Amino acid sequence: MDLNDAVLDRLRHVAALPDLTGTRYELESEIGRGGLGVVYAARDRHLDRRVALKVLDSTLAAEAQLIARLEHPSIVPVYDTGMLPDGRVFYTMKLVAGARLDHYLERAPSWGERLRVMRRIGEALAFAHTRGAIHRDLKPQNVMVGAFGEVYVMDWGVEAVAGTPAFRAPDACPDRRSDIYALGALLQFMLPLSAPPALRAIAAKAMRADPAARYADVTAMLADIERFQDGLAVEAWSEPLWHRLRRFAARNAVLLWLLAAYAGVKFLLFFLRNL
Amino acid sequence: MPWGSQLDPDTTMGGPRGQFPSTQLSLLEAVSAGDALPNEALERVSALYWKPVYRFIRVKFRKNNEDAKDLTQGFFATALEREFFARFDPVKASFRTYLRMAVERFAATEHAAANRQKRGGGIEFEPVDDQALTTESPEEIFEREWQRQLFALALDDLRAHCEASSKRLQFDIFEAYDLTCGDRPSYADLAERHGIPETSVTNYLAWARRMLRQLVTERLRGVTAGERDLRDEMRRLWT
Repeated sequence: MDLNDAVLDRLRHVAALPDLTGTRYELESEIGRGGLGVVYAARDRHLDRRVALKVLDSTLAAEAQLIARLEHPSIVPVYDTGMLPDGRVFYTMKLVAGARLDHYLERAPSWGERLRVMRRIGEALAFAHTRGAIHRDLKPQNVMVGAFGEVYVMDWGVEAVAGTPAFRAPDACPDRRSDIYALGALLQFMLPLSAPPALRAIAAKAMRADPAARYADVTAMLADIERFQDGLAVEAWSEPLWHRLRRFAARNAVLLWLLAAYAGVKFLLFFLRNL
Repeated sequence: MPWGSQLDPDTTMGGPRGQFPSTQLSLLEAVSAGDALPNEALERVSALYWKPVYRFIRVKFRKNNEDAKDLTQGFFATALEREFFARFDPVKASFRTYLRMAVERFAATEHAAANRQKRGGGIEFEPVDDQALTTESPEEIFEREWQRQLFALALDDLRAHCEASSKRLQFDIFEAYDLTCGDRPSYADLAERHGIPETSVTNYLAWARRMLRQLVTERLRGVTAGERDLRDEMRRLWT
């Protein structure tokens, strides 16, 4: 049988579809390709609900076990794991309805909203680090923002994942600091060109080539972002005097207006008295 | 310009395609089972690799049909004589890569020897004007032909299995839907054509695709060096 390229590609595609015979799931459609596997939408017949079903390219069951250990509002919960007749491992998880972070940013969300999403991502990462897990491949394509603003960090990595170049730290052995680098790269990605220098400095500090020069942990980085939002000086940037004055003015605007009003009234009274 | 548009037609050789394969030993298992590779294992290798090797030689060394056929036959004959398979080390490379590199060495040596005899030394290629122009490298063509041959063999296995187990209808539906070159018929069209419900059409299709995957896996198992090599090759095939 002679196969032309189009038929061959179709056969490669259909033959790769997971055989879910004997499981409680029915395949619906492919929804994405991630680190070492393909994600499909499927229906759980027992519970009559839609789930995301990820088929791993090899026997990397460790990925499912890793995620199942991480119970956090911003980490997609794993429901079930199993093995296909051909030996591939799969796991099912909550099917998140929403937009990938890179698509979400195309809607030009506000400053506050961008930083809220950033902090949710950071919190998930900080939690995972306390459980001894690292992500290894944090990038916009691995973050989902749900219809109600919920944020999910997905595709938690296994050792075989090398990371994505623009978000990958130049570290020989990936560890928590490599995730901090990726978080900095993600912050930089989320910032528009008009972003304040303090925020850019936070991203730059997280992305230092020397891991020791980055933030000690994700919590420290989040604290710096919070300081920025509160109008305080950030650890990552020694700001010039005029920046400090402007920030002081912004934080104490009411007080300064009252002082100005008081001075104005005093001046007016002085002026009237000397008429 | 597609490959082969300026070449003389390809050979129809390539060894007979096998019947429905039983569960196959991996190459390493077959090698370790005896001093020489059993004929059945050799047939598996040449059935899958004859065509990719032939096309690789045609493009890489710009050979005409007859010369490429001779070199391909020569390669497989020499490989068997020199215990080529026993020297394969799965730690260093996949069997497919090992075989392609061996073909390259063999064909380069033969090509150089032929040129020395003809012109007194040095490798001289035929003028490029007479050869096919392609955007794909010879290595990519080898890989593509390997995929094509693997699926062609698995499809033959599937057809044979369907005929042997009275599942000709399942194959016909699969052929009409997944193997057609032009517009695909709808499920409803197929249901009407064969006088069966649409749900049967989708079930038959799902069954045939599942079987095809199994058969591809079995074919691959016979030419890989164990589970790890098999999984690596499957990953390369699906993605």
